[in-house]
This record gives sequence, structure tokens and C-alpha cells, in this order.
Amino acid sequence: MCGFDSLVIFVYYLTLPLKFVLFYRSLLAFFATMAEAFSSSSETVIRRSINVEVKANTSGEKLEEFYDIKETCEFIREHNFDKVALQFPDELLVDSVAVAQEIERNSHAKTFILGDTSYGSCCVDEVAAEHVGASCIVHYGSACLSPSNRLPVLYIFEKRPLDVELCASSFRELYPDTQTHVILLCDVNYNHAIDGLLALLSPEYPNLAVSELVVGGGQCFIHGRKQMDKTCPSEPENSLVISQFGRRFSLKCGTAVTDYRMFYVGLEGATLRNFMMTWNRCSFCSFDPVSLKGRTESINVNRALMKRYYAIERAKDANVVGILVGTLGVVDYLSIIQQLKETIHRAGKKSYMFLMGKLNVPKLANFMEIDIFVLIACPENSLLDSSEFYKPIVTPFEMEVACNKKREWSGEYVTDFRHLLPGGGSHVPLADQQEDVDDETDVSLITGALRSQNLMNSEPVESSFGSSVVLRNQTLTVANADSAASFLAGRSWRGLEPALGDAPVVKVVEGRKGIAIAYEDEGTS
Amino acid sequence: MYFFPSKLVLYPQVNFTVDQIRAIMDKKANIRNMSVIAHVDHGKSTLTDSLVSKAGIIASARAGETRFTDTRKDEQERCITIKSTAISMYYELSENDLAFIKQSKDGSGFLINLIDSPGHVDFSSEVTAALRVTDGALVVVDCVSGVCVQTETVLRQAICERIKPVLMMNKMDRALLELQLEPEDLYQTFQRIVESVNVIISTYGEDENGPMGNIMVDPVIGTVGFGSGLHGWAFTLKQFAEMYAAKFAAKGNTQMTPVERCKKVEDMMKKLWGDRYYDTENGKFVKSAIGADGKKYSRTFCALILDPIFKVFDAIMNFKKEETAKLIQKLDIKLDADDKTKEGKPLLKAVMRRWLPAGEALLQMITIHLPSPVTAQKYRCELLYEGPGDDEAAMGIKNCDPKAPLMMYISKMVPTSDKGRFYAFGRVFSGSVSTGLKVRIMGPNFVPGKKEDLYLKPIQRTILMMGRYVEPIEDVPCGNIVGLVGVDQYLVKTGTITTFEQAHNMRVMKFSVSPVVRVAVEAKNPADLPKLVEGLKRLSKSDPMVQCIIEESGEHIVAGAGELHLEICLKDLEEDHACIPIKKSDPVVSYRETVSAESSLMCLSKSPNKHNRLFMKARPFEEGLAEDMEKGEVTHRQEMKARARYLADKYEWDVGEARKIWCFGPDGNGPNLLVDVTKGVQYLNEIKDSVVAGFQWAAKEGVLCEENMRAIRFDIHDVTLHTDAIHRGGGQIIPTARRVLYACQLTAEPRIMEPVYLVEIQCPETAMGGIYGVLTRRRGHVFEESRVMGTPMYVIKAYLPVMESFGFTADLRSNTGGQAFPQCVFDHWQILSGNPLEATSRPGVVVMETRKRKGLKEGVPALDNYLDKL
Ligand SMILES: Nc1nc2c(ncn2[C@@H]2O[C@H](COP(=O)(O)OP(=O)(O)OP(=O)(O)O)[C@@H](O)[C@H]2O)c(=O)[nH]1
Ligand SMILES: [Mg+2]
Repeated sequence: MCGFDSLVIFVYYLTLPLKFVLFYRSLLAFFATMAEAFSSSSETVIRRSINVEVKANTSGEKLEEFYDIKETCEFIREHNFDKVALQFPDELLVDSVAVAQEIERNSHAKTFILGDTSYGSCCVDEVAAEHVGASCIVHYGSACLSPSNRLPVLYIFEKRPLDVELCASSFRELYPDTQTHVILLCDVNYNHAIDGLLALLSPEYPNLAVSELVVGGGQCFIHGRKQMDKTCPSEPENSLVISQFGRRFSLKCGTAVTDYRMFYVGLEGATLRNFMMTWNRCSFCSFDPVSLKGRTESINVNRALMKRYYAIERAKDANVVGILVGTLGVVDYLSIIQQLKETIHRAGKKSYMFLMGKLNVPKLANFMEIDIFVLIACPENSLLDSSEFYKPIVTPFEMEVACNKKREWSGEYVTDFRHLLPGGGSHVPLADQQEDVDDETDVSLITGALRSQNLMNSEPVESSFGSSVVLRNQTLTVANADSAASFLAGRSWRGLEPALGDAPVVKVVEGRKGIAIAYEDEGTS
Repeated sequence: MYFFPSKLVLYPQVNFTVDQIRAIMDKKANIRNMSVIAHVDHGKSTLTDSLVSKAGIIASARAGETRFTDTRKDEQERCITIKSTAISMYYELSENDLAFIKQSKDGSGFLINLIDSPGHVDFSSEVTAALRVTDGALVVVDCVSGVCVQTETVLRQAICERIKPVLMMNKMDRALLELQLEPEDLYQTFQRIVESVNVIISTYGEDENGPMGNIMVDPVIGTVGFGSGLHGWAFTLKQFAEMYAAKFAAKGNTQMTPVERCKKVEDMMKKLWGDRYYDTENGKFVKSAIGADGKKYSRTFCALILDPIFKVFDAIMNFKKEETAKLIQKLDIKLDADDKTKEGKPLLKAVMRRWLPAGEALLQMITIHLPSPVTAQKYRCELLYEGPGDDEAAMGIKNCDPKAPLMMYISKMVPTSDKGRFYAFGRVFSGSVSTGLKVRIMGPNFVPGKKEDLYLKPIQRTILMMGRYVEPIEDVPCGNIVGLVGVDQYLVKTGTITTFEQAHNMRVMKFSVSPVVRVAVEAKNPADLPKLVEGLKRLSKSDPMVQCIIEESGEHIVAGAGELHLEICLKDLEEDHACIPIKKSDPVVSYRETVSAESSLMCLSKSPNKHNRLFMKARPFEEGLAEDMEKGEVTHRQEMKARARYLADKYEWDVGEARKIWCFGPDGNGPNLLVDVTKGVQYLNEIKDSVVAGFQWAAKEGVLCEENMRAIRFDIHDVTLHTDAIHRGGGQIIPTARRVLYACQLTAEPRIMEPVYLVEIQCPETAMGGIYGVLTRRRGHVFEESRVMGTPMYVIKAYLPVMESFGFTADLRSNTGGQAFPQCVFDHWQILSGNPLEATSRPGVVVMETRKRKGLKEGVPALDNYLDKL
């Protein structure tokens, strides 16, 4: 698919005046017709499935409630937006057309449906929206709430059903001590029910704090809470307010986050994982609204951190780093790229930048000379399990731990790269150039070999010995040049050998026909 | 803390300054670098003590302390040597004795650098490191226990490194006092030990025409010593031959030149061993045990050597005062005043020590028979140096030339009192090393012409290392053993130090043991993780064998040669290197994944874009091939045609196929092969790098539970590729190669291999029942049982899966009333019978547990994840 992927992106953005931009689905249909032109079995192409749980269409009357259409239209009217991009995650695409029609009917705006995003569907796809010249985006479904600032955004969450009673009783079981300090967190799609839950629990649990959703960036809105400041509970003086990942909660005076336990309402997944890694000193419990079960999160966070520590060791071993740009929406992504480049360079490693949309194994494996990738993405998408990938993928934080000598691993874990930037809570400036000079060495716990921080910067290996009269071996000198050249030198195949005159000239013969999934001479099966 | 004596003292009287020592170092023909090697508890450290007290350069206040070379607290508490320790000694030969030396010599003073090594198998790597920097070995054998497994292992290593052995029959006092052997029986015991040692030498060594000449040990030429380290006495035939030669010659001329005297003594030595007999009545040597008149003669060795010793023992131990006094007078032994008041064993010790001082006999044996660096480096060079045999470095080594470029091998790191810093300990083979010298520090991954694993640094300080003491020294010429300060940061465990720009590496050491036992360690407090990691890094430097790794699961693994080794490493980690409380898992074993049949079908995997197809099959190696690879008979570095020839001859490979081995794996050198058996495939070599990358990946992490593969041959049968290069890039091929290899593995009756120990157990007959019981319960099987001749002890040899070995020693002791002592050494990999794909089978359980530990998905992925249909 890789080849076609890029081809189609190109075609669609530049030439097709499509009103409905449905990435995969339209793509499939598009292939279905195209494929007939050169393959006998278009069927196979259609049958190819993508991993999306198909949900039944939402009926007309539910549509309004579910997608907050009235409110959306109000929002559009209020700001006089003329072109509105509607961004749906794959599983909500079934309703996209109906929602779009409904919005167009109730407002004067023209709508565009953005299907699959270039990166994670939790992030706002500003780039796609700008392609159609939209003046605002309505983002449906799960969201990482990373701040973005090019276009105004309205978030509409799903209103997934939550059995508040059951959830509350599960909570009581997990925290028998009513004096426990607990912070209530939830998946955005259950946010609609959180007030109900709080109403049940807060009388019993005086030390319960609830996190509410807030989004950074001046132009972001969450439905029902257009003006954040209004809905802010009046906080007692001196209390500590924690604001991260679009969540905000205030802690009682004299307490720290580590004094709290976390209770999460939602399915296990990237969101919860992100919270757990970030607040890795807090114990987590969760309530799964689908299976209706509450549990203490068994995955040992310490274990997860150790796993990430492995990734850091790999990063230290690497000589060539690929910087994967996995977001074009999250603010400050350019600054972090810049910072990473500098950090990597100062650690004596080389870096290359890649912009390749959604990541997959084959795409990354095309770059064998890269030892490790660092992915710049929203916090939820950053923590990637890369065991299937040929080379590991780490987060900017991990890359910094590996490269910035001044940054020490303290158990603190940062998934939001913005904290690493100057002014951020976890910013650690690089060491002065001068300090860099003495090259420290270090034993790799992966290869068991020695690695030096400044391998590439270190003085060129030229002799100061008496034997300098000896002629330098030309081939050896070339091999010294740099890592890319030495990589090439290590390959067995370095390009076509023309072998002119050696190969007999033969007539052109007719080759195979069809597409690779089933060539014509192989029949269909 | 180290103690720096301002003056070094030569026991008993002479004071040695560093300058004087430095002067001796220049006399390279008079240097002897030697290791003391043996089975555990055979008395190496005790024997070393008896030498140190004779000639140790830094004996000073510490002389007389027991086991001088066991410097660590735990070594002293456990009475076991853990690290090898070097000491230097100075010994002067008399003019008469100098005549015995057949190699070149330079004056009468000798510098002996001796390394006492541990005998426990778990610490074999220390022996390897010691052997590397020495040229000779004193092999100590407890004459009561005889030649044991570890005797064989260390001797074999010595021979393979071209280290010349001499033998010491130790604990002779026990043979006399405890076993009460008759002289003839004792002779037979000695004879058998000499034979066993020579069998090992001839099995692993070159013959007489080899570069070292004849290296068999032989009492007749004086390369076998007898005695008791504990009691401080020893002799070789030379000592007795000298006495008798003097006695027999006394009648005639007494004025002999040293050379004439030497000749006489050597002739006499020939008469004192083997089937030579002595007619005591007539004072004549005879050729047979029974004379013409039917009279029985006893063997010369018994009559002239053992007999007097037995008499002394008998007289003193049975408190025969008069006889004792007579003997003392006859043997011309001068006792100290306080010795004279002793009786029984203390008196025996005093008498024997005066009569046959161990230091004298052994130091003579060492200086006369062990090679100097000048002698040894000539023939060791080709084994030591990877570069061409005629470059400046090689010539410098061969000629032991202090003016040639520096070539030094660092064989181990010794912790300093400064935490986290180490002395780099090694031997100068060519040129000389000095404080401040700017050198090239080359790690094992250094390749000439590249920058990897290469550092250019000045040496901060060169030092002499002797037991617990270090002493700075300006410079050290070739042939000597020395410690360096300030290069430890640039080396992990071993390396080459040189000033020659074109120098290649000195060959890395090959260990006889492998780190098969592993534990996962964790900091009790997660915030201590960085300290743990730092500690692990230090630990991995400080021990030649231990491996400290982080696995993909995030587990920090410490792998060692055995339980004891691990125990010591973890203790060091906790107390010295990390200094934090540590949690450790139960020991875990590493496994290997293999196959037991050819793939049942031609496996096909298509690339993600479906444009490329790889067709492959897997099959098991022929029996013995994997071992051949480990032994280095078949390697990735080998010349392709020679390798093909070998495979064709020994394993009946098709020569054509054998020439098309694409690579070894994992890590480019492991015991699995990827072979191209395709016919005329277009663009094939273009994807070779990608397929190889996929193969390295798969071979490192097999499909069953991501353990290394072993002994699998993968054949590439056919490949169809997209004509357009962009569609057959690494991204398409690498994951596909990995998938098809997994499919091959799954269709070829995959198996799990477990490591197996060879266990040797010494015990009295009564304990045998208990031993068999314990072994059977632990899936062990006995393959040899023999009696140690002349003793009531038996030796049992068995195979025992490493998995079953945890707590084995303790179990064995409790089941035999503490009478059985096992030695476990990794021997081979063995298939764990059963199908690993069945969850309930034994290998199935191993797979499940391993997957769980590594945090992998439960259950081996199904074949259809990897296999595509046409
Ligand atoms: N009877 C007797 N006992 C001895 C003799 N030499 C050593 N021993 C005893 O044997 C035991 C082991 O001696 P060590 O010198 O520690 O043996 P080792 O070979 O250095 O042992 P490792 O270094 O642990 O392999 C001690 O209890 C010694 O007292 C000897 O000549 N006669
Ligand atoms: Mg010892």
C-alpha cells in the first residue's frame, strides 16, 4: 500500500475537488474501479479489510443528541465560519454524511469531511483542513487535546454510555477508605457522565478531586464549556493546580500528586498508558465501562519504565537517528525538532528528518542506515510499542535522556515534548560546548561494547607517532569518512554493475501481467 | 585502601627499590611469567605462599600470612580463590644451577611474575586471563584426588595457548599420613597422574615437532615436583640427583665445572624414575626388579627418594626420638632453637621444610624449565596477533624487542580503591610502555583502518601490581606484566594497546565456560535505576566473563558461568559497584531455538506490497556442525572456498551450495546459516543485504520465545521480485525475510534446546546411592563412574541440565552427609524433548514462561501470521 498511499494523497489534495474527503473508504472504492482496469480480481482488493469496528448508523433523532449539532451550528454562526472541516475518526465515519448534511442545513457554512488523518485521529488535522481552506475544525470522538493553534477547533466527544451506579460501587470497593486522596480521570468520551459520578461519590469521599477538560491554545473549545474560566471551580487559595494533557485538577493544600491515587474511567489504551507513565509514582485503578469491571492496574509501571529504559540504551548506542515528524498540528513541534537536532548533533550522532504520515513497518525499514527513530507526536501517540519495527522508536524525552549528558534519569517520565522545551517544566539545557570536549565513555548494556559520547566529534584518528612517514592506505582512508559512507561500504550490494559487454543481448520478451496480489497467470485464489 | 610501602623488601634480607626491579625487567631472558593452575582446592594458593615467603619482592610485613594471593575478604572467609592475583618474585640461581638452563640467559637473577588463579570452574575466565599474560604454567595436582575435570580444562586451555606446563604433585603429606600408602603404591599413583597429564597434553597440544618442542612433563627431566605446599616442602628429582651424584662422585674428583656437574646430575636423574632398581646392599643401580639370583630389588624412586622421606615421617610421627635425632643429623638438617622443642606434626613440618624447602625446588623448576618471554613469544606470536606475521608489531613480539612499537594486551581490569575506576592489567609483548606515553587503545571490535573502538590517549601512570600492593614505575619493557592507570574508560574488559598505527588487534581470549546462568536484577527503589545501571557497567568491566545486559523487556540481566560466580558478582554489584539494595529474581536459564526436521512445505511470504515473494525452507544442521562453529573450525571469517571444502568433506554438503553461504547469524557469527540455493534469480544480490538483515533479526529472536536460534540452516529456494527497484527496498524485504524465516522454523518441527552441565562428583562409595538419587530426580544421567586408584574415592561424571542445577550442590551435600563435592561446567546444548507448540509439554512450559517473563503475547504466534498463499 505504501506506494499507492503517497500517490493517492497527491492526487486527492491537488486535483480532485472532492466535497467528501473520505480517506480509506473512498480509497477502497476508488481502487475497486481502478483495479478493474488492470486486474482480473477487483474482488480481492475490496475484500482487503482495514481494522475498524463498524458501527451501525446513528438514527436521525439520536444524531442531534449524539453529535451536538445544534450547539455546533451555534458555534459556527457565532464566529461566522464559512467553511467548516468535520474531522471524524474511522469508527464514526458512518455518520459523517448525515452529520454534515444536518450541519449544512442548520447553518450557512459549507462542510468538508476529513476522514482518516495524516497522523493519529486523536490529533486535530489542521493540514488537511487547510487544504480545503477551512476556517474552523470540528473534531469528533476521542482526542488527546494537544494544543494546536492554526485554526479554531471545536471538540465534540462521543457520549458513550456509563453506568454511573456501577462505576461508583466499583470505586467504593477499590477505595474502602473514604479518606483516600483520589483524583478522578476519564476518557473524553465519558466526560459527559463524570458530573453524575462525582455527585454520587463526593459526599462520601471528601478528598476526591475531579479532573476537568481544558484545552490550551486560545481558539479551542469544548462543547458545553465554551468559556473555560466560567466553569472553573473556585479554587481555594494556595492549592496546587495541575494542568496537563487537557486535564486540570487542583490538589488540596500541602499535598502533592504523589499523595493521590488515580481513578480512571475508560477503556485501557493510549490515554491511560500516558497517564500512568507520567504519574508513575501514583497507583492507578480503572473502571472499564464496557465490561463494567473495576480493577487495580496490574501492569507494573516500574516494569514499563524499565522497558523504556531499554529504549534509551538503544538510543545511546545509535549513531544515526531518524527524526520522524508525527504531527503537524501540535504546537511547538518545530521547536522540538530543532532542539532534538541540536541535542543529537552534540552527542556526536547524525540525524535525518522524515515526514511520512502514518508509520508502518515497511516504511521505516526502508532506511536501514538509521539506528533508531525518535517520533514527534502528541503524548498519546508517542508511546509506541516498536517491537515489530526493524529499528526501535523512542520519544523525544528518551532521546534527550540518551543524548543530553546533563539530563539524568530520575524516574520522572515526560510524554509531552513541550515540557522539554525552554520554559517547560522539564527543560534541561545542553552542556556548554567546552564541557563536551573531554569524551566520556560508557559501556553499552546491549552490545556490551564501549561507546563514546563524542565518537564523531572526537579528534580524527591521525597519528602523531614516528611512523607518519608510512603512506596512508587509500582505501582505509576512504572508509573513515563518516557513518553513511561506512554503512554503504558495509553493504554487499552497492548499485547496478553495468557489466557492459559481458551480458548477452536478448530480445525483449513479454512479462507477467496483473498486480502482485494475483498475477494473471496465477488465476484467482 | 592500598598500602604503599616506600621500599620493597625482598625476603629474607635484600631490599629492593623500584629502580632495582626496573633494572631486572630489562633482562628479558631472565623473566618468567607463569600461572599456577589446578582443580579447586588442590592447593594453589597455599603453594604460592610457600614461594612468596622464599622470594616475594613485597613480602615485608605481610610475609607468612596465609594465602597471600587471596586478597578479598570473601576469598579469605570462604577459603577459595575468586580472582587471579599476580605477585613478583626475585630468585637467584647458583652458577651450578644456571648450567641446567637450556634457553638463553642473562645473569643469575630471575624475575618471576606469578599469577595464582582460582580453581573453581565458575571462575575459569580468570584462569584464561591469567594464561594469556604468562608463558608457563605450574599445574598443581592433589596426588590424593588425582587429575580432575578442572585440571583437564585449565591444562587444555594452557596447551591451546602454547603455555608450557610443569607439574606439581601436591599434598604428599596426606598420601603418607592419611592414606598410609606403601612407597611402591605411591609411585604408581604418581606415575598415573603423570600419564594422565601427558594424555591431556598430547591430546590438545602439538607433537614434538611443534614449535614448542616436547612439552610432556617428565620427572626425569625435572618438570615434575613432589611435595606438600602446606608443610612447605617439595623436591624434584634434581634435588635428590644432586645429593646422590655428589655422594657417588665423592670418591673421584670433586672439582667439576658447572656444565660437567649438570651432565652428571642429569644422568643421575634418569636413574631415579621409571623401571630402574637399586640394589641397596651393594649400592648399585640395576635394570630389573628381580636379580639373577632371584633377589627382589626395589625401584630407585622408592629406595632412594621415598624411603628416606618415609623414614623421617615414621620416626617423627611415631615419636621415635632417637631415630629422629639420627636422621636429622644424617640429613644434615639445621633446626632453629624453637623447632628443636617441637614434636609430632610441627616437628615434621620444620624438619621437612629445612631438608627439602619447597621454594628452592619449585623456583628452580620454574626458572630452569619454564620459558622466558624471549623464548615463548617466538612461537606464541602467531596465536596472539591477528595481523600479518611480518609487520612491525609481529616482529616486535617475536623478537621481544623493547625498541619495537608497543604492543600490549590487557587481559583484565582490577578494581582500584577509587570506585568505578580500574587498573588495566596486562602484558607488554613488544616495545615498552611508560607513564605519559600516547597510545592507541583498541577494543575487541576495532578493525584496522576504522575508528570504531579506537581511542588515542596518553597513559596516566604505569604501575607494578603485586597482590594487594601497587607501586608506580616509570616505564616497563616488553616481557613484563604491568598495570596501567587511566585507560580503563576506553576498554570494557580486554584490549590491545599499541603505538603502531597499522597494528591489528591481539586476539581476544576464548573462554572455556559460557555465561549460561542468569538472574534479573532490579533496584528495590525504582529511583535508583541509574545507580543500578552504573553498577552493572562497572561489574561488567571488573569480571572477564560476566555479562550485564538489558533485555528488550527492560529486565536487567546478569549472566555468569554458574551459581557461585553469579553469587559473587551480585554481591560485588550490591556492595561495591551499585551500592544500593537490589532485588534479584530466581536464576533463569537461557535457551536456544532450533528445528528437528526439514520444513514440511516450501514456505512463502509476500512483501507488504505483495510484489515480492521469498521461498525458503529450514532444516537442522548436521550433528556436530554447530559445535564446529563454536570451536572456530567453521567461521564467518574463513575463506569461502576452504569453508566449502570443509563442509563438503565433513558434512557432505554440496560444494556449490556451501560456497553460497550468505551469512552466519545472529550477530553475523552465530551458529545458524543462510544459504542461497536459488538458480538464476534476477536482482537477487540487490536484496541480499535486506534478507541478511531480516535473518540476523530472526536468528536473534526466534519465533518461539525470542531466544537465539541455534543449528538451523535456512535455504533460499526461490525469490520473485518486482522489477522496479523502489518496490523491493529494505522496507519490503526485511520484514518479509523475517516472516518467511519464522514460517520455516514453525514448519520444521521446532524444538527448544537447553544448556547441559558436565558434572564431576568425587565421593566415597557410601555416598554413591544418594548421588544417583539426586541426579535422577534432576534429569541427570551418569555416563562414567570410576575409582580413584589408591584411594577409597570414586568419581562420577554425569550430564545435568542447567535448568535442574539450581540448589544442586546443597541438595547433594544434604543427601550424602556432606561427602560429595560437585563441579559443574557447561558442556553442550541439548534438545528438550517434546513439542514446544504444545502448551503442556516441558518445552511448551519453557516457551510460555519465557514469553511471560519477556512480556510477549501469550502463545507462539500461529503459522498463518507468517505464511502466505500463492
Ligand atoms: N594436607 C594438605 N593440605 C593442603 C595442602 N595444600 C593445601 N592444602 C589445603 O587444601 C585447602 C585448599 O587450599 P588452597 O591453597 O586454598 O587451594 P586452591 O587450589 O588455592 O583453591 P582455589 O583457589 O579455591 O581453587 C586448604 O584447606 C589447604 O590448607 C597440602 O600440601 N597438604
Ligand atoms: Mg586459591
